[in-house]
Amino acid sequence: MGDLKLPDFFNYPPYFTLQPVRDTREKQVQLWKELILNYCKHHKIFIVSLEEEFPLFSNPAIDRKLSYEAKKVFLSALVSEGRAEWLDKGQKNCLILWRRIQDWAEYILKFVRENGLEDGVMTLEEIRSGVESRGTELAGIDRIVLIRALKLLEQRGKAVMFKGTSTDDEGVKFSA
Amino acid sequence: MRRRPGISGLQNAAAALDKYRELGENVATIRKDLMKEQLATFREQLEEFARKHKNDIKKNPAFRSQFHEMCAKVGVDPLASNKGFWAELLGIGDFYYELGVQIVDICLATRSHNGGLIELEELRSLLSKRRRSSREAISEDDCLRAISKLKALGSGFEVFSVGKKKLVRSVPTELNKDHNEILEMAQVQGYVMAKEVERRLSWSSGRAADALETLLKEGLAMIDDGHPDGKRRYWFPCIGSSLSGAVDADVLSLGN
Repeated sequence: MGDLKLPDFFNYPPYFTLQPVRDTREKQVQLWKELILNYCKHHKIFIVSLEEEFPLFSNPAIDRKLSYEAKKVFLSALVSEGRAEWLDKGQKNCLILWRRIQDWAEYILKFVRENGLEDGVMTLEEIRSGVESRGTELAGIDRIVLIRALKLLEQRGKAVMFKGTSTDDEGVKFSA
Repeated sequence: MRRRPGISGLQNAAAALDKYRELGENVATIRKDLMKEQLATFREQLEEFARKHKNDIKKNPAFRSQFHEMCAKVGVDPLASNKGFWAELLGIGDFYYELGVQIVDICLATRSHNGGLIELEELRSLLSKRRRSSREAISEDDCLRAISKLKALGSGFEVFSVGKKKLVRSVPTELNKDHNEILEMAQVQGYVMAKEVERRLSWSSGRAADALETLLKEGLAMIDDGHPDGKRRYWFPCIGSSLSGAVDADVLSLGN
């Protein structure tokens, strides 16, 4: 996996200033939304915080960075499309769904079948960092995203989640 | 000729006039036929030439442009119709028709980025990228020809010069002299600042602000407040940003 090639607009200064004219703003938001999703997918990033440094939001080469307001506009646009969710009321931390929850659920089902785990039991930690997950996109998956996807599978009767004595013991029994 | 009185004199004079006219007409007919013949020969040779150099005309833009010039001189327009000899031989009408359609596509696709104004050279390079597979080089002359064909559709395409560069406009925005002067200034760095416009063009601040505001509203300019000196810059994506290619990579893949 090589470095993500950043689009040319990332090197064009005005894209770091919120545009006042509607059409231009729409185009700008669209480009940033795509870039955020691609970037997070490439680097397996699940949470973007508005108050912490995030490399994508500044470009030292042209000496420009996004304002707090601009970041919030772009992330909110993702949220309104269902491609992200605010994790807190203050809207400072954002969960980026570069793969939608239902797509994660499908991905897990495929993973389960490929590993002959149709009736198997796994802990969440095993899914996130076990041998089977190595080399798949489940390696390092965010806990919140994983639990949401498993809950969806539970609703469909494809899995049952159970709690252990500690978070380490949280697990799931598949019935795929 | 001495005038002779009497009826016979008058008749003679009329007869002589008829003779002269007849002779004159003969000469004219002979000349016309000769001209026709020459022109026919020339066209024949032009056709022969076109047949012989079909591939050069198709592949080499400089050659193509010279061929067009030659055609224009004898009143042949290979683009006039898709039917007939020229089209069948060269497919040249189709060629420009196709270019025209692709130009419209590119202009539409990049419009949200550049406000409907694009440098001719950038348009040409996007067009070439899109036509990569056909391996025929496209020149600016080809673009201009294709655009002039588009004009016939009343689609509002226009090519105009700003400074040294040619811009293609695909939106009906009327740009006035003030706007053009700002665009010309922006060619140096890609952006201008209001104060700079006022100073360099000796404008009042209201005049500069008005012009910049219009350019912004038309989607031709973008503001940039991120410079450390805190002064607002107005960037013009239609000029020298070579951005459209990356911004609209998806457009390129749509083509053949």
